[in-house]
Amino acid sequence: MVRDRLTSQENLLLWDEFRSGDPEAFSRIYELFSADLYRYGYNLVRNKQLVEDCLHELFLHIYNSRQRIGPTDNIRFYMYRALRRRLTDALVRLKKLDSQAYIFESAEFLVESYETELVEQQTLDHQRQIVIAELNRLPKRQREILYLVFMKGLTYSQAAEVMNITMKSVYNTIHVALSALRTSVAERFDREWVFINVTIVALMGYLAALY
Amino acid sequence: MEEQDPTGNYIRNIHFKESSPSQADLDRLRSRIWNDIAETETKKGWWNRPYYLIAASVSLLVVSAGIAWWSMRPSHLRTAYGEIRTITLDDGSHVTLNANSEITIGKDLADNAVREVWLEGEAYFDIAKRNGAKFIVHTPEAQVEVLGTEFNVNARRQNTRVVLHEGKVKLHAAHAPAVVMKPGDMAIVSERKQPIRLRPVRTELYDSWKESTIVLDGKPVGEITEMLLDNYGIRVSFADTAFLSKKLEGKLSLQSTDDFVTNLATILDLEIEKDGNSYLFR
Repeated sequence: MVRDRLTSQENLLLWDEFRSGDPEAFSRIYELFSADLYRYGYNLVRNKQLVEDCLHELFLHIYNSRQRIGPTDNIRFYMYRALRRRLTDALVRLKKLDSQAYIFESAEFLVESYETELVEQQTLDHQRQIVIAELNRLPKRQREILYLVFMKGLTYSQAAEVMNITMKSVYNTIHVALSALRTSVAERFDREWVFINVTIVALMGYLAALY
Repeated sequence: MEEQDPTGNYIRNIHFKESSPSQADLDRLRSRIWNDIAETETKKGWWNRPYYLIAASVSLLVVSAGIAWWSMRPSHLRTAYGEIRTITLDDGSHVTLNANSEITIGKDLADNAVREVWLEGEAYFDIAKRNGAKFIVHTPEAQVEVLGTEFNVNARRQNTRVVLHEGKVKLHAAHAPAVVMKPGDMAIVSERKQPIRLRPVRTELYDSWKESTIVLDGKPVGEITEMLLDNYGIRVSFADTAFLSKKLEGKLSLQSTDDFVTNLATILDLEIEKDGNSYLFR
C-alpha cells in the first residue's frame, strides 16, 4: 500500500501554482503522476495506445483549462477520475456499448504478495497466499475499489467518485467482497480457519476505520 | 494513524500487480503533450491582444458560416477526367481522389466508432488515428479495414487493387478469406470467386499519380493506355497491337496529357494520328 508522497498541503500548493499558469508546476505534475496514471489506465484497459491517447488528451485538457478548474488537495484523485471518464468514453465510442458491465472487460487488478524481508513463520506466508488467491477471485469492480483504497490511498468517497458509483454501493461491494472472502477461505481451509478468520475480521475493522 | 497497527502492516504486505510504462513511453507521451501545448500557445498569443478581438469576431462569423456550409455540403464527391483533388475529412484524414473517381463519405466521421467511405475509381488515403476507431473503404469487390495508415485503393475494371504504404490494413472480400497486409504489399481482389492475391511491390509505382507523374518501370504499354482511358478519357490505340505488351522504363509527367502522349510516341518511335480524344499510334 502506497500513500501519496505529497501531503494534502503540498498537493494544494502544487495545483494552485499550476492553475496560476506556472509551467514548472505543470511539468512537475507530469513527472509525479504520469507513470502512476499510466499504471491505473493500463489496469483498466489492456491497450497501451488507448491509454496513451487518453492521457495525452487529459494533460492537454487540464493545461488548456487551467484557469477554469477548481482547487484540489488530492491531484491523484482528480486525475484518476478524469482518466477513468475519458477511458470509459473512448471505449463506449469504440465498442458502442452502453452497459458499464462490459466496459472494462480486460480490467486486471491482481493482488500479489511483496517479497517479505524477514522469512517469518512459514504458516503466515501460506495463509497470506490463501487470502491473496481469494482476493483475486473477487469480481473486478470489488478489486478496483480495493486497489484504489489500499494501493492508491484514496478514501472510499473518492474511490466512489472515480468509479462513478454511490458510496452505498462501495460499502455494499466491500461488505459483499469480505463476506465472500470469509466464506470461501473458511470452506477451503477448515484447520486454519481460526487464524484466517481473525485476519479477515481485522481486515474488516481496518476497512471500517478508513471511512 | 495505522502506522503501529499490525493489521496495517499485514495489508501493507499485499499489493496490486501493475505494469509500469517504460521511460521511453513516458518521454514520447511527454513530447506529444508539450508539442501540442507549443502549438496552442502560438495561437493563444493572438487572443490576448485586444486589437485582434475585432478580427477574431469577424473570423468567428466566417468560420460559423463555413461550418454551416460545411455541414450542408454533399458527402459525395466526383472528379472529372484529368482532375485530381485532395480533401480533408471531418476526422482529420486526407483523401486524394484520382481523376474520374467517385467517393461517398459516411455520416459523423469524427464521432462514429466506425468510419466508412465508398469508392469507385482510385484514391490515396492518409487515415488519421482516432482512439482506435476503424476506417473502412468499401469498393464493389472488397472492404479495406484500417486503424490509421496510408494506402492506395484502385477500384476499376472489376478489380480492387490495394497498395499499402504504411501501417496495417485488413482486407475483406465477399467470396474470399480476409487477408492482413503489411507495408509494401499489393493485394488484388477480383469480382470472380478467387482468393485475394498478395505480393510485395514498389509502392511508388502505384501512387505516383498524386504528384501527376507515372513511374513506368516495367509497366506494359497496355496498362498505360488503360490508365489514360480511366483517368483522362483518352483512347489510345495501336496499328500494331504487339506494342501493347512492350514494357517501358522511366518516369513521365502527366501534367499535360498532350505532352504525355507525344512523349510516349517518341519513346516508342511511332507517329500519332489525333481524332478528338482518340489517338492512333502507327
